[in-house]
Amino acid sequence: MSGISKDQLNHIAKLSNLPLKEGEDTKFSKLLSDTISYINVLNELDTSKVQETYQVTGLVNVFQKGDENVATLLQEDATKNANEVSKGLIVTKGVFERS
Amino acid sequence: MNLNKLTINEALRGLKKGDFTVVDLVTDCLTQIENHDKKIKAFITVTKEAALKRAVELDTELKSRGNEVFSDKPLFGIPYAAKDNYSTKGILTTASSKILDNYYPPFDATAIKKLNDAGAVLIGKTNMDAFAHGSSTETSDFFTTKNPWNTKKVPGGSSGGSAAAVLADMCLFATGSETGGSTRGPASWSGVVGVKPSYGRVSRYGIVAMASSTDSPGPITKNILDSAIVLNVMSGKDPLDATSNPLGVPDFTEGVRSYSLKGVKIGKPKSYFDADLEKGTKEKVEEAIEVFKSLGAEIVEIDLLDPKYAIAVYTILQRSEVSSNLARLTGVRYGNTRDTFGFEAKKRIMLGTYALSSGYYDAYYSKAQKVRTLIIDSFNKAFEKVDLIVAPSMPCVALDVGESDKSPMFGEIMDMLNEPSCISGNPGISIPCGFYNKLPVGLQLIGKMNDESSIFGALARFEEVTDYHKQRPEL
Repeated sequence: MSGISKDQLNHIAKLSNLPLKEGEDTKFSKLLSDTISYINVLNELDTSKVQETYQVTGLVNVFQKGDENVATLLQEDATKNANEVSKGLIVTKGVFERS
Repeated sequence: MNLNKLTINEALRGLKKGDFTVVDLVTDCLTQIENHDKKIKAFITVTKEAALKRAVELDTELKSRGNEVFSDKPLFGIPYAAKDNYSTKGILTTASSKILDNYYPPFDATAIKKLNDAGAVLIGKTNMDAFAHGSSTETSDFFTTKNPWNTKKVPGGSSGGSAAAVLADMCLFATGSETGGSTRGPASWSGVVGVKPSYGRVSRYGIVAMASSTDSPGPITKNILDSAIVLNVMSGKDPLDATSNPLGVPDFTEGVRSYSLKGVKIGKPKSYFDADLEKGTKEKVEEAIEVFKSLGAEIVEIDLLDPKYAIAVYTILQRSEVSSNLARLTGVRYGNTRDTFGFEAKKRIMLGTYALSSGYYDAYYSKAQKVRTLIIDSFNKAFEKVDLIVAPSMPCVALDVGESDKSPMFGEIMDMLNEPSCISGNPGISIPCGFYNKLPVGLQLIGKMNDESSIFGALARFEEVTDYHKQRPEL
C-alpha cells in the first residue's frame, strides 16, 4: 500500500470531522504517507497463526455494583462548561431540518 | 528555608518533628516557581491561593490531631504538581491544548482525589505535549518547557513540565502519565525518577485519554523511596475504571527497604543495546550495569523482539485510539470546536481514522494487535529466565529545542525503548545513572506484570551507592 492521495486525505478529514486549513491536505497527505511507509515494517513478521490482544489485563465482563457509581454530577455542574445552555439543557446542532 | 529542596520522606519527618509548617513548605515551593518558572515554563496554572488555604487547614488539623494525621494521610502537607491532563475539580485542565483552554472539570480524576485525600497539596498544573502527543513538550499549544540543566534543551515529554518542576525543586513530586514513554522519557532527560506502573495499577478515570489500552498514570519524584510512597497512594481498583487492577496493592516501600540484589537475574536485551544508541548514553548504562553486578546481581543476555516493531505497533494503536478518544471533543459539552485542534492532534486523528477505516482495518489495526501478542510473548519468555530487564530509558540525552520537527515520528523513535513495555503492560521505572555532555542519562528496569516491588527494590539498592539522583542544576 503506498501513499495517501489528496482525495483520500480529504475523505479521511471528513470521517474525522476535522476542518482543514488551506494547503493542509497536501502537507498531511505527505506526512501520513511517510508514517504508513514506516509501519509497513510489520509485514516482516508472520502473524498468520497469532491472535490479536486488544487489552492486556485479561479481565472480562467487569461490571459496577449498583451502589458503586459515585460519579454523578448535579445538572448545574454538568452543564457548566457547555457552549450553550437552554432551560438547564445543553444546546446541540440539530440533526434533522425543521419542516 | 529552601524546604522545596526536600524529598517527601524528609519533609514528612520535618513536619512530624514540628521543624516547620505545611504553610512554610508550600510557600517555599511557590517562591521557587515565582523565581524560576519564567525561564523554565513548567507550569500552565499555579494554584497559589487554593494551595495556601489548604496548607492552613492542614496545619490546623495537625495542631488538633497531632502526629496521628500521618498514619491516615501518608502524604500529609506534601506540595505536588499535576500534569495538565489530570482533571482537577474547578481548576483549569487543558491537556496543553487550545481546544480545552476554557475547561474547568466538575470532578477530580481518581488519582487526584486519592492524592488530595492523602493530604498532598496541589500547587499547580504542568505543561505537556498537547494531549500527550509528543516527547518534548514542543507540541503544547501554549509554550515549550525548558530543561533546567540547559534551557536550550527540551525536558522530554509528554510529562515534561512535571519532570522539569520536580528537578527544579518547584514541588516535592509531580504526576506523569505514560502511554508510550511519556513518564520514563522526561524523567530520563531531566534526571529524576519516573514510574510507569503496570497497566491497570493506577486508575485512568479523569485523565484526558490518549490510548486507553496503554495509558498508565504514575509519579515523578526525586528518589525511589518517594516514588514508592506516592505510588502506594495512587494505586488501587477503581469502580470508575473497568480496567483497573482488582488485585490488592502491595506496600511498595517494603521492597525499597528490604530487597536484596544477591542472586537476582537481570536480563540485558540484545536488540535494545544493538539499537541506534548514542555512545555516551550506552556507556553510562553499561557502567551502571557493573554497579548492579557489584551488588550481587547476575546479568544475563536475553532476546526481546526488535523495538522497531514496537514503534510501528505503537504508532497504529495510539493513533487509532486517539481518533476514537478525541472524537468526543466537539465543543458542545465542553471545550472549543474541532477547528482549534493543533497540527499534531489533527495528524494523529487522521492516521487513526485511516487505520480503522473500511478496507484498511485488517492491514493495520488488526495486524498491530497481533504483533502486540508477539511482544507480550517475547517478554513472557524472557521473564522465564530473568527477574528484571535493564535498558537505557532513551537512546540519547536531551535534544535541542526544535529537533522534534525533523521527523514526523520523532516521539515514537525517541520512545522506542519504552514502547514495548507500554504495549505489553509491564511496569518500568527510569532513574538517573550518570551524565553525558552535562546532561543526565536515564536507565530503566522493566519488571514482570504487577511486580513493581522488585524494580523499586533493585533501584533503591542502586541509589544507595550512587548520587546521580541528588545532582541539581544551577537555575
